[in-house]
Amino acid sequence: MDAGLDKVDRILEKETAIIDGMDISGSWNRMFEQRVIWDYTPELIEKITHLPGGESFGWCYQCASCTPVCPVDMVGSYGPRRLFRAVQTGVDLFTSADLWLCTTCANCLRVCKKEVDMVQIMPATREKAVLDGFVPEELQKAFEDTAKYGNPLGQPQRKRAAWAKQAGVDVPIMKELGRGVDILWYVGSYPSYHPRGIDASLAAARIFHALGVDYGILGNEEKDDGDSQRLAGETGLFEMLAEHNIGVFAQYEWNTMVVTGPHEYNAFKTQYPKMGFDRPLMHYTQFLAGQLPKLQDLLTHSLPLRVTFHDPCYLGRHHGEYDAPRALLQAIPGLELVEMGRCRENGYCCGGGGGGMWLDSFTANHTSMRLSEKRVMEAAASGADVLAVCCPFEVSRFEDAAKNTGNGHLRVLDILELLDMSMRGNGY
Amino acid sequence: MSNNKVVIIGGGPAGLEAARTVSDLGYAAVLIEKRQRLGGTPDEEQYAKLTHHFRDAAEAMDEMVAAASGPGVQVLTHTQVTSVEGEAGNFRLTVQNGGAPQTLEAGALILATGFKHFDPGRETQYYNYYTYPDVITIADLEGMLKAHKVVRLSNGETPKRVAFIQCVGSRDRQIGNEYCSKVCCGIASKQAIEIRQLLPDTQVFIFYIDMRMYGYWENELYWPAQEQYKVNYVKGLASEILAKGDRLLIRGEDTTMSRPMEVLVDLVVLSVGMEPSDGTREMARLLGLTQNKYGYIAAGGPGGLDPVATSRPGVFVVGAAAGPADMDDSIATAGLAAARAVALLRRQA
Repeated sequence: MDAGLDKVDRILEKETAIIDGMDISGSWNRMFEQRVIWDYTPELIEKITHLPGGESFGWCYQCASCTPVCPVDMVGSYGPRRLFRAVQTGVDLFTSADLWLCTTCANCLRVCKKEVDMVQIMPATREKAVLDGFVPEELQKAFEDTAKYGNPLGQPQRKRAAWAKQAGVDVPIMKELGRGVDILWYVGSYPSYHPRGIDASLAAARIFHALGVDYGILGNEEKDDGDSQRLAGETGLFEMLAEHNIGVFAQYEWNTMVVTGPHEYNAFKTQYPKMGFDRPLMHYTQFLAGQLPKLQDLLTHSLPLRVTFHDPCYLGRHHGEYDAPRALLQAIPGLELVEMGRCRENGYCCGGGGGGMWLDSFTANHTSMRLSEKRVMEAAASGADVLAVCCPFEVSRFEDAAKNTGNGHLRVLDILELLDMSMRGNGY
Repeated sequence: MSNNKVVIIGGGPAGLEAARTVSDLGYAAVLIEKRQRLGGTPDEEQYAKLTHHFRDAAEAMDEMVAAASGPGVQVLTHTQVTSVEGEAGNFRLTVQNGGAPQTLEAGALILATGFKHFDPGRETQYYNYYTYPDVITIADLEGMLKAHKVVRLSNGETPKRVAFIQCVGSRDRQIGNEYCSKVCCGIASKQAIEIRQLLPDTQVFIFYIDMRMYGYWENELYWPAQEQYKVNYVKGLASEILAKGDRLLIRGEDTTMSRPMEVLVDLVVLSVGMEPSDGTREMARLLGLTQNKYGYIAAGGPGGLDPVATSRPGVFVVGAAAGPADMDDSIATAGLAAARAVALLRRQA
């Protein structure tokens, strides 16, 4: 086909396609995308705008500010503006793959003059899809595992604090402690179970110990915060988890809660208060940045590394914390912090938020590249040796992405791990 | 000794406001209107509601007529000006109201002769306006809205889908109206809201080049139309309308999708723009006033900053006689012209 391609319906054909073991490569999977708009479907927009939380979907006036900053648009065709038009021209979002690609990173909302809020629209729309049974399989599995085991990794609840035995320092568990503490450390699911998450937890335990923090963890009384499941549409599961956790939090005396993950931070800051929980809360970077004069003295070993930092969407854009992680990195002797082009307010999403953590294959099938891969390439281009993170979703995502994109030299480390290395003088 | 009277020609919103203000400033006003009734185009064309706060047009015009009906205003309806002689401070007008011609003296003149709606059949058959009964204009729709009955004229049925097409007769080099008529985006949005209020099950579309919702019309009309009343704004004009069965097929390009569109609708509303009224053209000729290339009375004065000045001293122009104007423009220029006219009389007294 040469001239006139834009005059006919678009021909779509996958060079290789195997579905359920059957090879349907080439012409066997040929599809035609209709070019002429035969009908507009405002009723499909109203299906979304009638949902509580979905109202602003209909506000888009097509300025397209969102498109260039949408991380998914960079690896596909996406963004609120495009979604609005797609739905207005016949796409039923409730049954479309597009429903699951948004990571609720909120970069569109940051630039939207009309305040079209995908962070509200997506969970509202997905909740309906979940109720109607339109859920990608792998996401459904994460929902089921969370419901069954209290964590999306499908690990046994009773082993939630098993990691602590390797710490080499005492990790106090509230139930065994029998007294109140200053800091209640909500560890979270990935830091409790994922091997790379555990590495960060062990580092945190050693740092807390060295600082003499009076703290405790909840051990196997703790369950997943549920926020990403909520954003992926499982509101019922979220409420169940929140109710459980709020009950556990109330059993003990403590002053401030410190969380390892930004998603947990978001849950406890914005959602749990709706269910009655409203207590002092800090992300670990904020807590440790507050301890800096004391912490600085512990950072005795120089780490001659070029480090770039990835702002987690739910710490940065969602809650405005950009400085605490950087203050910690800059406190490490010898470490050179270099910034990527997209950082701070315009930080690029890792792809893990809003349920993306459990939609890896699904998303990969509907985009040209994983967001984590795109991000790792930016990190490598910055000339850094280390990509520093402070969200438990990110370590495994970026490590896989570094390997997939031929950037195996780029190490992905939690800020906790870097602090621990500088404190102990080993590991790098 | 100059004359102490201001003659205002045209009894629409701008003329009424000018007459009221001249009188309020303590000078005699004569308001000349060729129709039997005051109220101008909003009255003549049976407007339902004004874009301003959705005010009932008849009620708003009644208020303006009442305000201009004090003892200081002499109203001459069914009256036309047939000649004007003299100069600033001493004009002598001949007027005709059925009987013998009368002579009027005036120190200053204010022209408030307004606009007319673009006729979609004027030169070419725009969108088959005169062929398909279900292709109407925003002026036609005002009448329907006033009667609370929006129907397809072809069969009297309620339309399930209505499409507005913007910029008909405006921004058009071919027909000679290169200017933007300024109010049609707001009027279409206002009417779209009214249709949705009247017929909640009817879908409404507005096909546009760019929405020109200046100032507060953005938040008072455009945003509520889209956000509360679910009016669908689609960027890209329909370029033709074809009959298909008993419905209308509008063909155009949906520009943000970069795809052609061929969509069936029941009622098409052409957002026709403004042109100088016959009265405006006639008075310009009679008074020897400079007109711009579109036939409106050239205004602005030598420096461009006097919106009510014409090429002839002592003759002021207000409202849509000088170019597309909304109600705010008409009333604001009317007040300014009244002040300028009175200032002239005071200087010459």
